[in-house]
Amino acid sequence: MELKILENIEIASNIYSLKIDNPALFDVVPGQFFMVKINGFDYPLLRRPFSVASFEDDHIGIIYKVVGEGTKILSDKKPGDFIDLLGPLGNGFGDVEKDKKILLVGGGIGIAPFIYLKNVLENDYKISYKAFFGFNTKDEIYIDFGEIATIDGSYGFEGNVVDMVENEIDNNSLIFACGPTIMLKRLAYLCYEKNCDMQVSLESRMACGIGVCLGCVIETNDKDFKRVCVDGPVFDYKDIAWQTL
Amino acid sequence: MANSVNMSVKLSNIIFKNPILAASGTFGYGFEYQKYLDLNMLGGFIVKGLSVKEKKGNKPPRIVETPCGMLNAIGLQNVGVDRFVNEKLPEIKDLNTHIIANIYGSKEAEFVEIAEKLDLEKAVSAIEVNVSCPNVSKGGALFGKNPDSVFNLTKLIKSSTKKPVIVKLTPNVEDISLIAEAAESAGADAVSLINTITGMVIDIKAKKPFLANKTGGLSGPAIYPVGVRMVYEVYEKINIPIIGVGGIYNSDVAIQYIMAGASLIEIGTANFINPDITVKIIKGMREFLSRENIQSVSDIVGAAHSM
Repeated sequence: MELKILENIEIASNIYSLKIDNPALFDVVPGQFFMVKINGFDYPLLRRPFSVASFEDDHIGIIYKVVGEGTKILSDKKPGDFIDLLGPLGNGFGDVEKDKKILLVGGGIGIAPFIYLKNVLENDYKISYKAFFGFNTKDEIYIDFGEIATIDGSYGFEGNVVDMVENEIDNNSLIFACGPTIMLKRLAYLCYEKNCDMQVSLESRMACGIGVCLGCVIETNDKDFKRVCVDGPVFDYKDIAWQTL
Repeated sequence: MANSVNMSVKLSNIIFKNPILAASGTFGYGFEYQKYLDLNMLGGFIVKGLSVKEKKGNKPPRIVETPCGMLNAIGLQNVGVDRFVNEKLPEIKDLNTHIIANIYGSKEAEFVEIAEKLDLEKAVSAIEVNVSCPNVSKGGALFGKNPDSVFNLTKLIKSSTKKPVIVKLTPNVEDISLIAEAAESAGADAVSLINTITGMVIDIKAKKPFLANKTGGLSGPAIYPVGVRMVYEVYEKINIPIIGVGGIYNSDVAIQYIMAGASLIEIGTANFINPDITVKIIKGMREFLSRENIQSVSDIVGAAHSM
């Protein structure tokens, strides 16, 4: 559906906040995504998947990083322009068990869905949580909550977010994670070691987002393939064959 | 006014309400699209290619975007003919549109086995044969590259089913007309072309092909002029209907294929971008014909050849 852009501004180095008019036609679960058509039909051809960073009565919020030509074109869009969204799609983060120690662990642009999850945890579930987020450098920080790690040490903990969060994890932890595959993989091995729960949101190249192109599959531990778009993007980390990622 | 245009098309003993089909591999088993469009609006749809046994497909990465196109190497992942018949077909069999089953095998006997099974299914209107797959008994050369293999395979499938047989041709050959002629002389009811064009994208940081399968099939708007050219060439050589496919993303390109000589067309990759694109293309074609005072879509099949 064609929706109006309300705001499209750079909020950190190469990171943009896109706010789109909410047509009030659907609800969104944190971790779900939209397939966004950036331009007219032929170039860039495919829609881009973006997770939802905020969902309010008056807007749908997406936070994206300019990484290629598609997102560059997107960053030039102005308020009042229209953009074509398909969704919401996929399975978001699942049930929160209240007796668990909730940890949000994110890296880079993968932190975006936690802004919406934070709202839902605070307002709907009314439970406490801790958040740990990693960035490469101070310039890329676009959130205002949680403990921060930067790879170059320019802000907060020096190093990666998995090192920062390691001592917080025990067998009663329930982690919600999203970020670069390499970070998630380390986190998954750590979760096996600590025997805790983790719901992890994965990224993959996808053409359709609705389960038919079969392009976005990942390998699972039962030697099968699962589609990130409709079987995920949020998975139980124990289902994923991490050694193949 | 627009409603007075006759969009119906006949192929063998089947009447399609319009010439728009959704292409195999881009439309799942049909019902996945039910929330995005009324499937009964379509001339028909072609389900994901079926093999004798369930196939898991290639390892990822399976797709990569290219300028105005995409490269895919899904590896023909599908549930297999038996599960299709038992689990998928019941969900679509009552639709008021034509369901075409696309089939493939690694040897002739496999094609025959699938065709025989589908022959029993009333809900399947026709069979489309994917010949763009390696023939293991011939050292892995694609069936579709050799006129003799296409002739033999088509003949065998024709004798295994009473349903119309459509042979889907690969463009990765020297002269696609020769292959089309082989299919025609073996009794094919129609040919569809083109399948994807083999390509490769290299990940320059990793210094290796991007796709796990190394090569993939190029599809999308980038390839439509190749498809139109091939349909044009084949139309001059054969008398059975042609189904045009390759990069169609709007009604203008669809009309180009028809004027090149296609009686019907298939929409593929465009379904991924706009799930209801087929319906939009039907509407656009109707409007074009109405505007141009053309009464029936079949009046312009091959129109580009009269010049």
